[in-house]
Amino acid sequence: MNDATLVRKGLFRKKMRAVLLILSILIAFLIFGVLGAFYSVFTAGVDVAAANRLVTVNRINFTMSMPFAYWGRVQQVEGVDNVTHASWFGGYYQEPRNFVQSFAVDPESYLAAYPELVMPEDQRQAFLTNRTCLLVGADLAGQFSWSVGDRIPLLSNIWQKRDGSSSWDFDICAIFDGNEATVPANYAMFHYDYYNEDLAFNNDQIGWMVINTTDPSVNDRVAREIDNLFANSPAETETSTEAAFNQAFLEQFGNIALILVLVIGAAFATILMIVGTTMVMAINERTKEIAVMKTLGFNEGRIFGMVLSESILLSLIGGLIGLGLATLMVTGAAAALAGFLPGLSMPLSVVLVAIALMIGLGLVTGIVPAINATRIRIVEALGKT
Amino acid sequence: MFKQTLAVTALNIKSIPHRLGLSLATVFSIALVVAVLMGFLAMANGFRATVSGSGSDSIAVLLRAGSQAELNSGLSRDDARLVEIAPGLATNAAGDPVLSGEMYVIVDGIKRSSQTEANLPLRGVGAQAPALRDGFTITEGRMFEPGAAELVVGESVQREFAGFDLGDTIRLGSNTWTVVGTFSTGGSIFDSEIWTDIGVLQNLYQRGTTVQSIRVLLESPEAIEALRAYVADEPRLNLDVSTEREYFASSSGQTSDFIMVLGWPLAISMAIGALAGAWNTMYSSVDTRTREIATLRAIGFSGGAAFAGTMIESVVLAAIGGLIGAVASYLLFNGVSASTLGGGFTQIVFSFAVTPQAVINGVILAIIVGFLGGLIPALRAARVPLLAVHTE
Repeated sequence: MNDATLVRKGLFRKKMRAVLLILSILIAFLIFGVLGAFYSVFTAGVDVAAANRLVTVNRINFTMSMPFAYWGRVQQVEGVDNVTHASWFGGYYQEPRNFVQSFAVDPESYLAAYPELVMPEDQRQAFLTNRTCLLVGADLAGQFSWSVGDRIPLLSNIWQKRDGSSSWDFDICAIFDGNEATVPANYAMFHYDYYNEDLAFNNDQIGWMVINTTDPSVNDRVAREIDNLFANSPAETETSTEAAFNQAFLEQFGNIALILVLVIGAAFATILMIVGTTMVMAINERTKEIAVMKTLGFNEGRIFGMVLSESILLSLIGGLIGLGLATLMVTGAAAALAGFLPGLSMPLSVVLVAIALMIGLGLVTGIVPAINATRIRIVEALGKT
Repeated sequence: MFKQTLAVTALNIKSIPHRLGLSLATVFSIALVVAVLMGFLAMANGFRATVSGSGSDSIAVLLRAGSQAELNSGLSRDDARLVEIAPGLATNAAGDPVLSGEMYVIVDGIKRSSQTEANLPLRGVGAQAPALRDGFTITEGRMFEPGAAELVVGESVQREFAGFDLGDTIRLGSNTWTVVGTFSTGGSIFDSEIWTDIGVLQNLYQRGTTVQSIRVLLESPEAIEALRAYVADEPRLNLDVSTEREYFASSSGQTSDFIMVLGWPLAISMAIGALAGAWNTMYSSVDTRTREIATLRAIGFSGGAAFAGTMIESVVLAAIGGLIGAVASYLLFNGVSASTLGGGFTQIVFSFAVTPQAVINGVILAIIVGFLGGLIPALRAARVPLLAVHTE
């Protein structure tokens, strides 16, 4: 019988108690895993932001447009490698509730700005040359069962054509995906010219510009120069890094990070109390046994290590099962939520933090009983009755 | 039986100090579960109260067909003229319909809590707009002058966003605007808005005489049908007609539903975790007193009394935890102001509301945890084998 067997036997001395403790640890890590996965996909926009990408929007608010001519002027700014522009279409398919996130873009510069969007070369050429083409993200295509060759109308809840209709016909000629799972592919884009020529109002206006700088170190200067170009005009601009822009947008929903910290904190405080007190009690019950072990020559360090190993083992069993269940749940939900939260999966960072937490929880809940165990004096413990 | 139960319960409760750590852990873990649930319920209820407090059944909102939100909509001067002569509209003392064509655009404000930019609605309104909002009052300063670049801001905007105090100026495009007053509509969605004169705003945005929405006061809530029929039959009008209550419910109802959908499963899974804790505690309670219970049974106490004693201990501990959680969340959350992105793509400011119903739900959840946690240990207490214990 080696130490590992002793640890295992100690843990499952009272089976019911061990199972209950494992259950409560499991729940805490299930919550941690699921919320962690959702949070990381929710903030993916900040994580996938390229360091040299800037976003220029109208200073009043990003829903306000700016003149098309700005696009050409920004290309002249030193340190600008590529500029593209996009306009919000407010699209839906057949019915208003079938929301389709879609933009009118300048195709060539847009694909240059976002090298993480990948597609077969022939489809890329088709999108660049065919002015009625709709380039659809793989998740969006899956949601509506669209495939290359389909001809579909998209309606806009904002824009109208001169003939009074709000419907634009498109040929789906290309489907893109992200080069990594975290890159969203739940939107569509089409030629700005095709959209602009029929617009009944707001012609020759663009929604925002995306700028790739030659190097992240020139970001601040480029941003300042762009905003200075349009200062004191009716459409002043505000340029920030892509990461800052995405972060500010997420903050609009509220302090989600704080809410998650509070919920996960509450879940862990619960198991800390339950597991902590139970471990103390469990070791107290074994006072005599430990005294016998000491009599047999187990030294204090060995006993300390065994008690600590027991609580870490408990924490790892519950935690790994919980994390496994969370991964199953997240994977199961990923398909159903592809259109809404694309790229939902269990990120490695969440798994690593969870494992660190398991070991931490095991140490914290085990330390007091472990110290208690080393302090047991053979004479007192065995002389008790 | 009753006396026996009382005696056993008293014994149980007196012995709690022997397992104080475990009992406290149970009480506090249940308190935390209840507090988490109450936090989510308070958020959802507060948001819903703000949204539903804003919708009136006797006000109709008219938007361009298919536009879904004021922000996307656009209506011409001709549309407005045709609506003015629609049936079912209430009239004011001068005999004119109470009708307000309004513009709705988004401007940036700085959220105090995060110091980041957030979408705020800037509404361009005419003289009739206050008459279409119940309880509209200027609480500080004065109303804007027609034709001037002046703003009045809702109380909630001032509370959550920086830069909108009386006398502050903000730049929109190349113009400078001054905040001249604060208004309140008693906590409705409109308190999260900034208002200005519609003519000035149309000019700044080069919108000519177009508006984005038309609000009309109806003779009665039933008159909406007459208005709908009129709009449907008039070929020159291509509008969606809804009551204000429907409009807000459809644009913002999902947010409170979403908070609920998130809050309940979280609270229930945490409750399962706490249940394991309660179960564990009650098992130790029974375990440490096996001899005692066996002795009581031997001198004539019934199994039922032993069962009830353990059960009551469990439920009482859970209920105490539930109450602590409820009181703590009331003190922590009630009235806390927050804002989120609502259906109109702009910030809606709301206050967390811990309602009596939520408190009851929280305590019920705690008692369920206590009941289920105590059930099996209590059955065990009732079945303590008399002889086996004493031969040990």
